[in-house]
Amino acid sequence: MREKDYKKLVDKHSKKENKLKNVIIAFISGGVIGVIAEGITNFISKNYSLPMDESYIYSTLFIVCLASIFTGIGFFDKIVSFAKAGLIVPTTGFAHSMTCSALDYKKEGFTKGIGGNIFKLTGSIILYAIVVSFFLVLIKGCIE
Amino acid sequence: MKTIKFHNSFINSNFTLLGRNEHSPILESKVDKILNDYYNNEKTTELGEMSYQRESINGLLNKIKKNEKEIDLLIGGDLQNQILATNFSAKNFEISLLGIYSACATFTEGLIIASSFIEGNLVKNAIVTTSSHNLVSEKQFRFPVEYGAIKKKINTFTATGSVSTYVTTEGNIKIESATIGKVVDLNYSDPNNMGACMAPSAAETIYEHLKSMGRKPEYYDLILTGDLGEYGVKILKDYLNKKYNMTIDNLFDSGVILFDAENNPCIAGGSGPICLPLILFNKVSKIKHRKILIVGTGSLHSTLSSNLKLSVPSISHAVSLEVVK
Repeated sequence: MREKDYKKLVDKHSKKENKLKNVIIAFISGGVIGVIAEGITNFISKNYSLPMDESYIYSTLFIVCLASIFTGIGFFDKIVSFAKAGLIVPTTGFAHSMTCSALDYKKEGFTKGIGGNIFKLTGSIILYAIVVSFFLVLIKGCIE
Repeated sequence: MKTIKFHNSFINSNFTLLGRNEHSPILESKVDKILNDYYNNEKTTELGEMSYQRESINGLLNKIKKNEKEIDLLIGGDLQNQILATNFSAKNFEISLLGIYSACATFTEGLIIASSFIEGNLVKNAIVTTSSHNLVSEKQFRFPVEYGAIKKKINTFTATGSVSTYVTTEGNIKIESATIGKVVDLNYSDPNNMGACMAPSAAETIYEHLKSMGRKPEYYDLILTGDLGEYGVKILKDYLNKKYNMTIDNLFDSGVILFDAENNPCIAGGSGPICLPLILFNKVSKIKHRKILIVGTGSLHSTLSSNLKLSVPSISHAVSLEVVK
């Protein structure tokens, strides 16, 4: 049997994921996270009389801490496997990936275990975020 | 592919230790021991798997009432890097060890090696042991455990537990013949769809076994594959039909039976080398099924090969069993 024929055979029998359903779930759950964060920002801004851009920093911190704590307690993975990209794409996903890597490798020591593996999943996000922001700044500089 | 006939090798006894399997309630009443703990009081899950295997070998020695010095050979394998679970559990026993690896086909490979040694009168008896652990496999092959990586319906769920089998010159189940598989690679490279990766090698081994023994699929009361999953079985049957014009109706998959995958909306079945012996020894009726062909299916990829975007080669070993008593 040739490779092409085999791929066709596999596609015929393997169940396809319902992409539309996943997209809708991710859209709603990601939106809910956004609404919660916006609420926290408004709350901080009003009650502690901070400017909005500073309040955004605090609400981001709050969301990141909350996601990490939930991962540590052990139920955030179940929410992620339901909400999918809705929780992975926002900053909650970043915090969650770091915490779960650290949890997995904590028995292997602070340096080689946690230190060596905490950025296992998020390392590429950090690297390419820096690269992309460098080029964006460069383009912005050229335009101005 | 090489097919060997055996005359003098029997599966005498086995000890099944079932770990914590959230999805599988079907075996609980029949297995020898259940440990409802991924860690088994050890520091890490890897150490947990080692203790699982140690306990299953100990349990088997107690069951057959033999001293470890009376056992000539221990053959074992698991899914951990450098088969750590086997090596570290074997250090507790004064038995000669042969460590083997062919992923989920490890159990049938172990049976073939043990039978060959016994057939050649090189050893009087041997223990074949294997284990797998869900969290260890998740961490090693996929994502960190707490990440809760998204599972597709085509994914399989690694079963947790350990099975040790006592092979010697007398017993209830005769090891009648075996076909040693070859590595088959059809350039399919999605390690999520393990059933699709392993189905061609299972098909080739089954066809080769039946051809060289001059048998038809109906000769066997049951053909039991290892861990192809719900879709892997369909692919295997279609593959055999298209390539060799062969129809098999008596073929079932251990992974599908273990997690009742056909009625389970989340997973395609179980995986890991223990799926096959778990179902063979604790679920398959030895009165109804007298002639059984077991086909261990292993996908030979690693995280490195996946990262390099290499295809997933696979291997399957078949062992023909006859219930004699």
